[in-house]
Amino acid sequence: MLTEFETQLLGLMMMVIMLGMGASLTYRDFLIAFRRPKGVLIGLVCQYGLMPFVGFTLAILLNFPPALAVGLILMGCMPGGTTSNIFAYFSKGVLALSIMMTSISTLVALVAVPALLAFYTGMAGIGSEFAVPASNVAQVLVVLLVPTLIGMVTRKLNPNIGATMELIGSFMGIFVILFLIVTWVPRNHMLLAATPVSVYFAVIGLGLIGMALGFLLARLLRQDRNRSRTIALETGIQNGPLAVLIVTLTFTGAMQQEVLLIPVLYSLFIVLTSTFVTLFFRRLADREALARDQAKTGSVSQASR
Amino acid sequence: MQHPFANTPRPWVAVYREVGITPELPPLSHPNLGAFVHDACTRWARESKAKAAFTCVVPNGMNGSLSFAKVDELSDYFAAYLREVLGLHVGDRVAVQMPNGLAYPVVAFGILKAGCVLVNTNPLYTPAEMVHQYKDAGVKALVLIDMFADKLPSVLAMTTIKHVVLAGVSEFFPLIPKAIIRGVQKVWAQVLPPVTVPHTRIAAALAQGRAALQKAGGRLHAQNYWKSIQPHELALLQYTGGTTGVSKGAMITHSNLLHNVQQMLAMGGTHMAPGKECVLTALPIYHILAFTANLLGFLAIGAQNILIPSPRPVQNLQRAVENYPITWMTGVNTLYNGLLNEEWFVAYPPKTLKASIAGGTSLHSAVAKRWREVTKTPIAEGYGLTETSPVVSFNPLHGEPRLGSIGIPAPGTDIRLVDENGVDVSFGQGGEIYVKGPQVMQGYWHQPAETAAVLRDGWLATGDVAEMDDQGFMQIIDRKKDMILVSGFNVYPNEIEDVIAQMDAVLEVAVVGTPDEKTGEAVRAYVVHNPEHEGALQPEAVIAHCRKFLAAYKVPKSIVIREELPKTVVGKVLRKDLKAEVKAEWQEQLKANLHP
Repeated sequence: MLTEFETQLLGLMMMVIMLGMGASLTYRDFLIAFRRPKGVLIGLVCQYGLMPFVGFTLAILLNFPPALAVGLILMGCMPGGTTSNIFAYFSKGVLALSIMMTSISTLVALVAVPALLAFYTGMAGIGSEFAVPASNVAQVLVVLLVPTLIGMVTRKLNPNIGATMELIGSFMGIFVILFLIVTWVPRNHMLLAATPVSVYFAVIGLGLIGMALGFLLARLLRQDRNRSRTIALETGIQNGPLAVLIVTLTFTGAMQQEVLLIPVLYSLFIVLTSTFVTLFFRRLADREALARDQAKTGSVSQASR
Repeated sequence: MQHPFANTPRPWVAVYREVGITPELPPLSHPNLGAFVHDACTRWARESKAKAAFTCVVPNGMNGSLSFAKVDELSDYFAAYLREVLGLHVGDRVAVQMPNGLAYPVVAFGILKAGCVLVNTNPLYTPAEMVHQYKDAGVKALVLIDMFADKLPSVLAMTTIKHVVLAGVSEFFPLIPKAIIRGVQKVWAQVLPPVTVPHTRIAAALAQGRAALQKAGGRLHAQNYWKSIQPHELALLQYTGGTTGVSKGAMITHSNLLHNVQQMLAMGGTHMAPGKECVLTALPIYHILAFTANLLGFLAIGAQNILIPSPRPVQNLQRAVENYPITWMTGVNTLYNGLLNEEWFVAYPPKTLKASIAGGTSLHSAVAKRWREVTKTPIAEGYGLTETSPVVSFNPLHGEPRLGSIGIPAPGTDIRLVDENGVDVSFGQGGEIYVKGPQVMQGYWHQPAETAAVLRDGWLATGDVAEMDDQGFMQIIDRKKDMILVSGFNVYPNEIEDVIAQMDAVLEVAVVGTPDEKTGEAVRAYVVHNPEHEGALQPEAVIAHCRKFLAAYKVPKSIVIREELPKTVVGKVLRKDLKAEVKAEWQEQLKANLHP
């Protein structure tokens, strides 16, 4: 479990991340995204239609005890993680789409997460002692949305400060995960050793299955390969640290310890998974770009006429 | 020889009256550019409503600014650095090789104030191209963007350059954005190479200049540098291939530039409110159009100048367009077309835009039409050459736009249209454009034969063939010179052919232009394999070879391998036959597209 200090620090870092996320957006970016809502809608369907279902299904199939099930379902219901933007950038994807999907899913989370959580934990027959009150989710999100708005306003008023915030926010996204690794793993290595394979399967599977389904759904809905890859990353990468915050707010003691396991493990593994997937996507993007160039410029070599 | 305008010397004056252009140019406001810059900065520091004189905006929105007073001050220091610290004299050539940024006006104005001659150079030039230009001009000092400092060792050894000043893209930015941009450049993008030759950074150069100036009597003393510079003295050596393709320096004087600024302001004046404009400078300042129009012209009316270091991809302009009240733009067809394909631009076109100028290459009527629809503002195509500083003609901003026309001559300009036999043609007939006016260059630097070939009795032969109607509106119908315009940049087949001919695998080569949707025209090389050379001739190899010696825009987009090239009886390659082939090929494609 996390100490009080660590929880506060985590909260603070998340606020900085949200500040950065807000600073990467302008009001106009939203207006432009909504002119063609298809991409955003696909993102929302993946984020709140697919992922919670995947989390729920894995929890049922793997026969998880309530503490683990709650953790997994919570992870599935989370909005997109901000690190997805960094991975979208490196995979040569559509960064603007990634930023937009992360922001909008975070805004919608206020309503979506409590509802989906209640629905799926109910379906899984999880007892009320493991229930995550909607007010807790709302509390955390509101605290995080205020910095987002501040970020957006700052960007408008002073682009220099805004762009600096955006940069710091991006670094913080990675740093937060490193922070979790450094604070949590050493203390809990015994727990980790005793953790059954099914848990590892679930946390890695949530990410990978999410990415695969996100890609398929996007292609099915006629998005081009590059956009689909970006949507895939966006779908699979959930906001792990946000889940950690919600858990520490809701549970204490041994229960917190148990429920925290999946969010923390997910956060660790998603970075690894995303890195591999990103490198793979990047190679695909390069190959496609090369093919496009060759078709266009046509290094034409013709035999004599 | 009967001049067609014998009865009405300048038929277009009637149009001037209609649209509110003063036909006579006022007398020169200043004897030289040093005085002009100092005066403009002093006046507009007081009167302009602009938030800054120059603002540089990088793609993520980070920006830095210089006020009119600051630009004046810093350019004084740079002038002092050149004259006192480096000991340069009036007329010495100083090269500037940077993308748009805050350092550019400081350095350019400093050079002009010092009475030295500015040699604008494309920062993307390969060392080979740099050596050719700097040797020809006899450049003594070079101001280079730090990103390309790795080109220096191979260049310095072969030229007369004795002093190197380095500047960065984020020069003069506030501390934190500057540090972040440099950090990203150095560590992340790795575009800042280590510098192995003696050099001075711009900040140090300015500090030295300031110290020297203070010793000499303070800022007032700086005015002595330009006090005695006469209008006919050289301000720029602007390199171009002209009509023959051999790169040479057009000698542009203070008078040429000051007059062309007046001409430009006369043509656009109806849409310009002094002290209240904000111009977007996406075109590079080292290109003569942006130099005269954006750098000098808009300074004259106290506008805020938004400098864009890298306009490709066109998305880089988004934050600049969103955050600043842009009222004017200069651009080429590629830029306007690019913007019209960006959702963020079409959805929210800048509300404050008043007018745009298109130069460098012909503006496609489809692009012009769409631009007018989307922005609800006029876009005026103009025509000019490096040799004419550059503006020759311009479409008036009022009234019905004439599609495909390059407009009427600017005030103070005389035009003749001449056929192959040297006879003036009448209205509606095609002839080579000859220009006479205060904007015409003095000649080519150290190239008397080339100069004599184009300049006769003050008339400049442009190599462009046009028709004029009885109101004075002109339309380009052909290009006499073998030149290819890639996004407004001149590319000369000779230069490319020379480079490709160096390849062992190539026996013969001919380079022509092909139409291109994105860039207007593109470069194509027809090559013949050398039978004595082992191994096949690969198009990729030709392109790779070109990339080593030529800036990217000159590299051929397509390579066609042939058994032989069409030639005259004496063995001269007939480029026009290949051009005809290209034309036929494109017409077939057009037909195929229309009837799939």
